Amino acid sequence: MAANFWTSSHYKHLLEQEDVDMVNTLDKEKGITLEDFKLIKMHMANYILKLAQQVKVRQRVVATAVTYMRRVYTRKSMAEYDPRLVAPTCLYLASKAEESTVQARLLAFYIKKLYADDKYRYEIKDILEMEMKILEALNYYLVVYHPYRSLSPLLQDAGLNDLNMTQLTWGLVNDTYKMDLILVHPPHLIALACIYIASVLRDKDTTAWFEELRVDMNVVKNISMEILDFYESNRMFTEERINVALQKLTLRP
Amino acid sequence: MGDGSGSNRSNSNKPEWLQQYDLIGKIGEGTYGLVFLARIKSQTNRGKSIAIKKFKQSKDGDGVSPTAIREIMLLREITHENVVKLVNVHINHTDMSLYLAFDYAEHDLYEIIRHHRDKVNQPINQYTVKSLLWQLLNGLNYLHSNWIIHRDLKPSNILVMGEGEEHGFVKIADFGLARIYQAPLKPLSDNGVVVTIWYRAPELLLGAKHYTSAVDMWAVGCIFAELLTLKPLFQGAEVKATPNPFQLDQLDKIFKVLGHPTLEKWPSLANLPHWQQDTQHIQGHKYENANLYSVVHLSPKSPAYDLLSKMLEYDPRKRITAVQALEHEYFKIEPQPGRNALVPCQPGETFVNYPTRPVDTTTDFEGTTSMQPSQPVSSGAAVSGSMAGGHVSNRSVPRPMNVGGMQRIPHQTMQAYNVTSQAGISGGMNPGGIPMQRGVPQQQLRRKDQMSMPGYPPQQKSRRI
Repeated sequence: MAANFWTSSHYKHLLEQEDVDMVNTLDKEKGITLEDFKLIKMHMANYILKLAQQVKVRQRVVATAVTYMRRVYTRKSMAEYDPRLVAPTCLYLASKAEESTVQARLLAFYIKKLYADDKYRYEIKDILEMEMKILEALNYYLVVYHPYRSLSPLLQDAGLNDLNMTQLTWGLVNDTYKMDLILVHPPHLIALACIYIASVLRDKDTTAWFEELRVDMNVVKNISMEILDFYESNRMFTEERINVALQKLTLRP
Repeated sequence: MGDGSGSNRSNSNKPEWLQQYDLIGKIGEGTYGLVFLARIKSQTNRGKSIAIKKFKQSKDGDGVSPTAIREIMLLREITHENVVKLVNVHINHTDMSLYLAFDYAEHDLYEIIRHHRDKVNQPINQYTVKSLLWQLLNGLNYLHSNWIIHRDLKPSNILVMGEGEEHGFVKIADFGLARIYQAPLKPLSDNGVVVTIWYRAPELLLGAKHYTSAVDMWAVGCIFAELLTLKPLFQGAEVKATPNPFQLDQLDKIFKVLGHPTLEKWPSLANLPHWQQDTQHIQGHKYENANLYSVVHLSPKSPAYDLLSKMLEYDPRKRITAVQALEHEYFKIEPQPGRNALVPCQPGETFVNYPTRPVDTTTDFEGTTSMQPSQPVSSGAAVSGSMAGGHVSNRSVPRPMNVGGMQRIPHQTMQAYNVTSQAGISGGMNPGGIPMQRGVPQQQLRRKDQMSMPGYPPQQKSRRI
């Protein structure tokens, strides 16, 4: 299974975009729009990254944690599973799954350091309780495949494995976790989309190489478009809009 | 335990998921939890036996143990007839405990070997040895081809199914230490994890920094030999210093049987830290003559010996792989391996009735030490009294065991359990009529060793690092 994505639970549980974009009824009642929903998940992906930088874990742990968080919200409401607790707890769980366990105590410490706001304030006990609820929500499927793994062999194969391209594509892959791509597309296609974007940006002709790959170029291009759209709209995602969205969760319907 | 019988304190807050099982009793205990035998109540699968492994909440307040997380993570992805099947995971939010439900396996290699050595006093028949080995390799090949290294193979982790559809099927269990090795794996010792040293590959004993699937093949070799002779092949005395002591005696035991390793035969030996530093002068030991064949009583020309020696090849790069081993001559000659390892298909062959696992019926799911010997009668009555028609029977005979890789129940706690004297009711459960001792500490010495080599460290330890 580790060698074969196609037999993994990750592959079997890939979702359609419209399933990912379903706002939970409870959240809808609170006035959460699809836009809010996406915004909050993006904000929480950033939160996970910030925490991870504090406790010093690898990018793969961050990617797994973000994936867990996004999977949770395909099944559970934000009203019942407060994103401000789910985010750090996903990092906590991912650190165990990826063999670089971070203590809950440490996370609780950095949560306080990062956010003075009381709404973010969660203690060790809360994290431990939420860990079990997340395990349950994930239906105990914990193995996640990431685009990182296919990135360097693909770059090498395309003859693009110089430092510049490597760094650019790696950064692009990091940014894909601000979207729901990992829930919808096989990771190697996400990697290819990042290579596609990077080669356009850096003016590298990869047409022939892509043609030789036995992949659906339409899917790769669609993923690329989605990533570019995200960068386009990213400017509008202000702190204020995020706060407004999060505020809705705390308000009574 | 019957629902609503109410005599047990556990009923008051019994979680919903638990209601789908009839708890029979405790069958194992380890540093990180307990194992229970239960039966499914629902119509589909009614009466099916399930082993439920309960993970304790770790003491240091760090949630679900990483061991449990990784075991779930792997088992949720893999399906193979020679790998234990995780049928369900349950969570009890009130006490934050986690339960893994497995298909129940009545036997394991540790018990089978012990039964032959101590009870029937005769070797395991060739068909059974070969079938067990083949299935073990078959399961391992599946794991390895999926980039999973088990890392803690030993007889007690190799389960064998009892009567039923899968009678005599081998099931590899206990994936708490198993790893996906897409990224290089650090030695377990770096994580503060201690595993039994008898089945540990020489490269690890010499301080190799990374695991390969060859470490599992070494363990299989040791297990193969043990199936043949009924004795652990390399029974070294463990050095218990921290954190990763050099296991001189274990290596010495290996060298004595296999001969001294040489750089010609094992070139990368030169790079292994403990060999290089040689603080305890292992390089100076000289055991010239390999005598493996005489230790295992095999002709040096037999296919069995050839396969065994290829599993016990010093150089991990030259060591036979699972897929190669499955193709070995040994499996092509008579008797050929079969699906039911315990019952030969050829008529006329005798087979052994292996005893069933003992069940401690006095412990419930909250089954904590507080329930133990001090008041076994009351709690025991509550549990066993509500069990359907005596199918527990002579299972209440204490016999240290293991399931899903759990440590055996320490015999001290077992001795008090004679009270549930249901041994007479059965008849059916022990068709071989094998006399089973009650509450007598068997294999005490061996068990002491086992208990002092827990498969897992205290959780705090692994987390602190």
